[in-house]
Amino acid sequence: MGTVVEVRGLRKRYGDRTVVDGVDLDVDEGEIVGLLGANGAGKTTTVECLQGLRRADGGSMRVLGLDPTVDGPRLRSLVGSQQQESALPDRLRVGEAIDLFRGPRAAHVDGLLAAFGLTAHRRRAFSALSGGQRQRLFLVLALLNRPHLVVLDELTQGLDPAARRDVWEAIRALRDGGTTVLLVTHYMDEAEALCDRVVVMRDGQVLDSGTPAQLVDRHAPWASVRFTSTADTDWAGLPGVRQVHRDGAAVEVHGDRTMVAHVGAELVRSGRVPSDLAVLMPDLEAALVSLLTPGGSR
Amino acid sequence: MTTVLAAPPAAAAQTRTAATVIARLVRTELRLVLREPLVLAFVFAFPVVTALVIAGSFAAEDAPDFGGFEPSQWYVSSYLAVVIAAIGLVMVPVHVAAYRERGVLRRFAAAGFPRWSFAVASLVVGVVLTIVGSAVLLAFAAPVYGLPPIQDPLWMFAGVVVGALAFTSIGLLIGSLVPNARAAQGIGLLAFFPAFLLGGGGPPPAVMSAGMRRAADFVPLTHVTESIRDPWLGAGTGAGHLALVLAVLAVSALGWWRAVRL
Repeated sequence: MGTVVEVRGLRKRYGDRTVVDGVDLDVDEGEIVGLLGANGAGKTTTVECLQGLRRADGGSMRVLGLDPTVDGPRLRSLVGSQQQESALPDRLRVGEAIDLFRGPRAAHVDGLLAAFGLTAHRRRAFSALSGGQRQRLFLVLALLNRPHLVVLDELTQGLDPAARRDVWEAIRALRDGGTTVLLVTHYMDEAEALCDRVVVMRDGQVLDSGTPAQLVDRHAPWASVRFTSTADTDWAGLPGVRQVHRDGAAVEVHGDRTMVAHVGAELVRSGRVPSDLAVLMPDLEAALVSLLTPGGSR
Repeated sequence: MTTVLAAPPAAAAQTRTAATVIARLVRTELRLVLREPLVLAFVFAFPVVTALVIAGSFAAEDAPDFGGFEPSQWYVSSYLAVVIAAIGLVMVPVHVAAYRERGVLRRFAAAGFPRWSFAVASLVVGVVLTIVGSAVLLAFAAPVYGLPPIQDPLWMFAGVVVGALAFTSIGLLIGSLVPNARAAQGIGLLAFFPAFLLGGGGPPPAVMSAGMRRAADFVPLTHVTESIRDPWLGAGTGAGHLALVLAVLAVSALGWWRAVRL
């Protein structure tokens, strides 16, 4: 498998403020890699440097074998890009936008419009499109010239849940077609649903990277079980349990993930399986909160 | 061990040429202008209405106040510069600032369009709109006042084209420096009306105070007007004025070229 993006020690300053501080990043061919972090973490600046839209102050970058600083225009013709807060002229129609951005390597436009449900909107002005339609148009434009790498920066920001899931399906279809995707997002559920690997940034630095499951294992390995029980079972004595909270009949048991099986087994054994049993498994959001919170797992 | 992928070798031959990008931008921008009623009104209707009113108001004035020319001829030949100013000071700054504000220029850059391609396309659009706006103006003025014969077409045409390039370039500079489209509109209108009144669209210099005449000499539109009107009416080639307009073009173009936000 080839490496599409290779970044070492990337640094970028705006005035005396360092926004990217020694970032290392690798993206392999055919992967969806998510760049995660709070606003101001340096995610957008990093991907703008990767596309040659901003000049890095230090470090080295190779994207599709090219140096973005030197080969920016050539590189950008090979990269499909959706930028954060980047629109089209209000009165530009969908078909005209495609004509404007179409290059010699353009994909079959009718097929692309059909795939993203925009065929009927070809003559509609950008300002008349819904939020979801606009984002799907941006995806069409990002994919129009059959890019080798797609960079999507906050693509689903402001979309309703149904529209977000439509866009997710489109991104999954991209990966299935072999396209490499670098996804900038601060939605944890989006990263968990889409990304093969995630890279977590804070204050311009990479805090950790790995698959979503690896990050959860490293930074949020704990689970909780909640239920109502009047039995005087010694929950704290079960394997894997770290803490037990009781508030009247309400019981909350914390521990590692194996604890869930032991608590369940004990409830079944006692013959009193509560109807309000709830299991809270850690997810990427819990891992990120732990990772990004001062005094958390880092 | 990993392999760093190389760019596909055929890619260089398959990238869009700059000429293709500019041609598409020009076509797109012209389409969009036709869908902007406010721009159409200001660029095409305002010069016609004000030319007819002002020329009619001064029609009975003495010819010496107009350099020995008929007042109506003097105004008809002057008002092409008003079209140029409306494009350069009102339309272009707002357009460029709005594109910057909405991230349209970033989108162009991310698509691989050369950094300067939008500016070059805007200059072409500025010249095309100037020619169309001038034709509209003359079409309305001709039946009312008649058209004075063009004494020196080459110099007159050079005055129109260089004036259009210079003012579009000023518009690009304003649009690339202001924080947003609203500020561009305010600054553009603030620049337009004094330029319009002092630079050829208002009263003739002979009826202005000495101070106003002196101020008018520092208004770039005055020199655009003279570089068109002088060769048109046979008052000289207007070469000196054209040289000043070329200097304005060079300075403003250097300004937007260096403006990082365009």
